[in-house]
Amino acid sequence: MSANILLFCLAAFGLIGWLTARAKAGRLNTGKGVLHSLPTYHAWHQALWIVLPALLGWAIWEMISPGLILSAVLASPDAAILPAGEMERNAILSEAFGIVGNPGAVAFNPLAEKLVTVIAPVTAKFNWIGAAIVMLLAFCGGAFGFTRLKARFPARARVEFLVLTLLLAASCFAILTTLGIIVSLLFETWQFFNMVSPIDFLFGLHWNPQDGAGPEVSKTFGAVPLFWGTIFIGAIIAMIVAIPLGLMSAIYLTQYASAKVRKWVKPLLEILAGVPTVVYGYFAALTVAPMVRDLAKFIGMDNPSTESALAAGLVMGVMIIPFVSSMADDSIAAVPQAMRDGSLAMGATPSETIKRVLIPAALPGIVAGVMLAISRAIGETMIVVMAAGATANLSANPFASMTTVTYQIVQLLTGDQEFNSAKTLSAFALGLVLFIVTLILNIIALRVVKRFREAYD
Amino acid sequence: MTSWSSPSASARLAKRYARERRFKALGLGAILISLAFLALLLVTMTANGIGGLNLEFLSGSDSTDAATAGIWGALKGSLLTMAVTLGLSFPTGVLAAVYLEEFAPRSRWVDWVEVTINNLAAVPSIIFGLLGLAVFINTMGMPRSSALVGGVTLALMTMPVIIIAGRNAIKAVPPSIRDAALAVGASKVQTVFDHVIPLALPGILTGTIIGMARALGETAPLLMIGMRAFIATPAGGITDPTSVLPMQIFLWSDEIDQAFVRNTSAAILVLLAFLLAMNGLAIYLRNKFETRW
Repeated sequence: MSANILLFCLAAFGLIGWLTARAKAGRLNTGKGVLHSLPTYHAWHQALWIVLPALLGWAIWEMISPGLILSAVLASPDAAILPAGEMERNAILSEAFGIVGNPGAVAFNPLAEKLVTVIAPVTAKFNWIGAAIVMLLAFCGGAFGFTRLKARFPARARVEFLVLTLLLAASCFAILTTLGIIVSLLFETWQFFNMVSPIDFLFGLHWNPQDGAGPEVSKTFGAVPLFWGTIFIGAIIAMIVAIPLGLMSAIYLTQYASAKVRKWVKPLLEILAGVPTVVYGYFAALTVAPMVRDLAKFIGMDNPSTESALAAGLVMGVMIIPFVSSMADDSIAAVPQAMRDGSLAMGATPSETIKRVLIPAALPGIVAGVMLAISRAIGETMIVVMAAGATANLSANPFASMTTVTYQIVQLLTGDQEFNSAKTLSAFALGLVLFIVTLILNIIALRVVKRFREAYD
Repeated sequence: MTSWSSPSASARLAKRYARERRFKALGLGAILISLAFLALLLVTMTANGIGGLNLEFLSGSDSTDAATAGIWGALKGSLLTMAVTLGLSFPTGVLAAVYLEEFAPRSRWVDWVEVTINNLAAVPSIIFGLLGLAVFINTMGMPRSSALVGGVTLALMTMPVIIIAGRNAIKAVPPSIRDAALAVGASKVQTVFDHVIPLALPGILTGTIIGMARALGETAPLLMIGMRAFIATPAGGITDPTSVLPMQIFLWSDEIDQAFVRNTSAAILVLLAFLLAMNGLAIYLRNKFETRW
């Protein structure tokens, strides 16, 4: 019996239970206040008693049945043809199981093909047993639920308790995700640091990852050029573009533009934030990078590279503009109107008010916004992958090709697929550094924003 | 004392007004530069890609030949991935938002959940890719480069967005609605599910659509889980290897053949059209159903 049919049966069974229970509860409702819960709640109570134990049993069965099938296959006399060596044996077994699961596949090993004839009936048998157990559980659960269907039974309380449990479980997903990120990054990084010394990784100046272990290999994992490239592109070039443009557009939109202009221009600016990064990356590589190269030629550099930190940083800065702009917008709007009015009443022009009163007052919020923007820029991947280059370069020349942490993570994990080599594991170490840095930036920024809001409330 | 009409005073005033005009022009200039960049991007892509947009391109799959390569395989992969993402992130996101806004006691644990959600929304997307690779592929053994594992990874990314939007929408429902329901004898759960959620739904949906649009354009985490292969047949189900729209753009952008510039730009136009439609829908929903209490 396939899983789909079983699922369908279970759903149908649940529906029948739902309808029956509702009908019965409706009949119990003889007068005012007799029934504790509405018939619908009795119906849900009944349906849940049918479905939940069965699903739970199914999940447990899915976990234990492969072991049972394997031991049954090995116990059968035909399994004697298997070779004694553990490796070969497992290879043949996994091939045979693969063929059973996917009838279109062809066996490479004749032994595996023979085994299929043994495994198929055993698997089928155990599937039937599993299905029977699931249906039995559904029936027992349903019967138990049905015995509790009485007028005074608080079905609503039971159903609501389950709903609340579900809500609590959903809210824990965020914690689980964060834990998953931390645990997986820490685990792989720890393995990496068994091969490469953390000191060499964090402070080494030479990045040219090699496989293996030992002090020589350790010296090839110096990540400082990557950190520098990331900071240079994401926190310097991009911010030189994004901070003035974002701040000035926020000031113009909030202080000078008419309501009508604001209504049209603000969404247009926000489109910049909605364009996928892969599109920016392509634009950077196709249009901006050649322009930057021509500029480099024009100012007298010989043989400039097509991939440059400047092209990637410029495009990234444009991407960040709406982000900086909306953060600046929020913090300027949070400055009390009285401060602005006071300054204007003293005879200051609007621009003097903005420069001397609004911006100083809004500065903590703006700085926090810039920190969030930096954390977003250094985690940005596609633009640098497509426009920044692969060579680790410790230079302050914006026309040079430069690589970043995110670029190297992509590079290291999409090449060879051997998982436990120092090269692939170093990607997780880079990821951990990136995670920690962005986390610190975010926490500080969010705290500043919160405190700042409280100050004026 | 100098009088207001003295030459030195009016010269100072003129200087201040000139500075005022310069400042204003600077602000306008910043906006114009930003918008000019957007226009340049759109014009470049349209000029390069509009010629490649035809029925063949929309219905074909990836190919090594630029002339026959099409977008349908990647588009279908994107739709499958989005279906998985929506199916996972919408229910958990909404339920979590309901819990945090309506039922959660003020405790340290809940504060932790809140901090975690806010931080999760700002974690770089590539980190989610690393999580997907380490947990879903290497530990749980989900099929590489399938819509399933892509969808699950993107769901983890989208969930915080939906939770935050959902909480704001629920917060905006006035307490009088809850009080009225409670006063006529509804239980807390009935109040929330029968009255608060329906009223908050437009806001929740708007946030969900915006989150989904972001997931649709996301590339970096999918690179991590191996969606980089050349796939010439559209996926039949969520466990088949597939490509997605942004990934197809990335793959084509790497081709040396100049003919692929047209394909890449055309694919970008398709992707942007989808995103524009989704954001348009979100704005429409917000304008149509938004209630000012």
